[in-house]
Amino acid sequence: MGNYLGNIWETITTMLTGMRVTLQHLLSIRRNNVTLQYPEERWPRPERNIGFDHSNYNVIRSRLHVDIDDCIGCLKCERACPVDCIKIETVKVPNRGEDIRSIGHTGITANGTKKAMVVSRFDIDMTECCYCNLCTYPCPEECIYMTGGPNSEKHEIDYEFSEYDRNDLIFRFAKKVSDEEIESATSVSSGEES
Amino acid sequence: MGIVKGDQMVLNIGPQHPSTHGVLRLKVVTDGEIVSDIEPIIGYLHRCFEKHCENSTYEQVIPFTDRCDYIASMNNNFGYVVAMEKLMEIKVPDRVEYIRVIMAELNRIASHLLALGVYGLDVGAFTPFLYMFRDRERILDIFELTCGARLLYNYMWVGGLSHDLPVGFVETVYGFLDYFEPKLKEYNEILTYNKIFIERTADVGVLPPEVAISYGVSGPNLRGSGVKWDLRKDEPYSVYERFDFDIPIGEGTVGTTGDCWDRFYVRMLEITESAKILRQALKDLPQDGDVHQAIPKKIRPPKGSIYQRTESPRGDLAYYIISDGSPQPYRLKMRSPAFTALSVLNEISRGWMLSDVIAILGSLDIVLGEIDR
Repeated sequence: MGNYLGNIWETITTMLTGMRVTLQHLLSIRRNNVTLQYPEERWPRPERNIGFDHSNYNVIRSRLHVDIDDCIGCLKCERACPVDCIKIETVKVPNRGEDIRSIGHTGITANGTKKAMVVSRFDIDMTECCYCNLCTYPCPEECIYMTGGPNSEKHEIDYEFSEYDRNDLIFRFAKKVSDEEIESATSVSSGEES
Repeated sequence: MGIVKGDQMVLNIGPQHPSTHGVLRLKVVTDGEIVSDIEPIIGYLHRCFEKHCENSTYEQVIPFTDRCDYIASMNNNFGYVVAMEKLMEIKVPDRVEYIRVIMAELNRIASHLLALGVYGLDVGAFTPFLYMFRDRERILDIFELTCGARLLYNYMWVGGLSHDLPVGFVETVYGFLDYFEPKLKEYNEILTYNKIFIERTADVGVLPPEVAISYGVSGPNLRGSGVKWDLRKDEPYSVYERFDFDIPIGEGTVGTTGDCWDRFYVRMLEITESAKILRQALKDLPQDGDVHQAIPKKIRPPKGSIYQRTESPRGDLAYYIISDGSPQPYRLKMRSPAFTALSVLNEISRGWMLSDVIAILGSLDIVLGEIDR
């Protein structure tokens, strides 16, 4: 009997101890509020522009972006990707480092490398991307990067990119070009020169 | 599963049941409300991790290890890189080792907080779950500050780290610890010593030490049974031998040694120990050292194999890597602690009621991503 009443007593006291903790939270609900009304207000993202040299690091995980004018088609990012979400196709150009204006191809990258290829396809399927950031490190021209953060001067942050159709999440950065188009474009331009 | 007799009934729990912690299906043979046999059916989350690794380079394996135990990804990275560094005989700088320990312990706290909170949810306490998630959120914010990702980090690389620490990191973690340590008292008040919670968990699902050892159970589940076994102390890897911390074990404070409450309470005590390690690591953190310095240009280990185990929040997490000298592993096997913990479920929940099975399953703290791989 004493055990029975003791159990009831213990239940009541421990429950009241728990209630005291919740009551403290109830009273300080304004001060310690942690819930945000999401679409109207957001958590500030941690400041990433501090601390270290950005040329070595790419401390953000968001949408992948490619500055296609700087891409030399070396396929390093495609090989680094663990889930094969990057697809690249290239066409060789006859004269290295020469602009082909009719298809909008610039011959020299921002770093001064002469391009030997026209990138005719550069697709990133963001539905497959696992945001591991492995593709951004090997890039010799630093043209593939995640938007925002330390790269915000190149491209503003693109965190939320939901779409109604799954195919809209395949980002096509390059314009499709065939061998013949390049041949005719280069022959026209060389004809003009001569 | 034996023959179902006349009075018995087969009941399916899962695969989409909220208390199965993922996609686990339990085939339960019940006699009235008493459970006489349980067959866990796994494989709903199978993603061919080991076969994938055979076709990926060694760097590409790391994002896959993240996704095995998605609650403690840093510890999964840690085990893999420790194994690889042993295979390739790389000496990493002290700063890298300290940062790794800091990250692993922070993630251990986060993982235990989730385990404890969800366990409360399983046995019917909703409020502690919210409090623990609120504090776990702060750890995830620290991870986001460090490497940009909140859950799947790809932070530890073979020979180094993907990023150095940001400025102000040490102060942030100190601030978190100062905020967090008083909260443990609050958790104990609201959940651990609550009489209703004790009635649900004490003396329930007792896992005797002999059974635990013969099934290969490890981590907090084994320590809950009173066995002092922690790889951080017994087979120190990285720089764990430099830290001073205790190994909490279950003592049967409110029931029998090895019951659900002990397994729960060991996790609570381990959080304190992790906080202790964190404070020491932050104090001794070397200021100089390049985190990219020891990263090899090409990861091409010599022919041979390695078996390296580390202490993840769930127990002995081991990687067995066979290298044939190419940039891709010939075979990679992961020894998952949650898998062995699930295998003991049938043994310890026979004879208990159906509602106790949920309490026992929750106390084992399984992660289905790691069981199915």
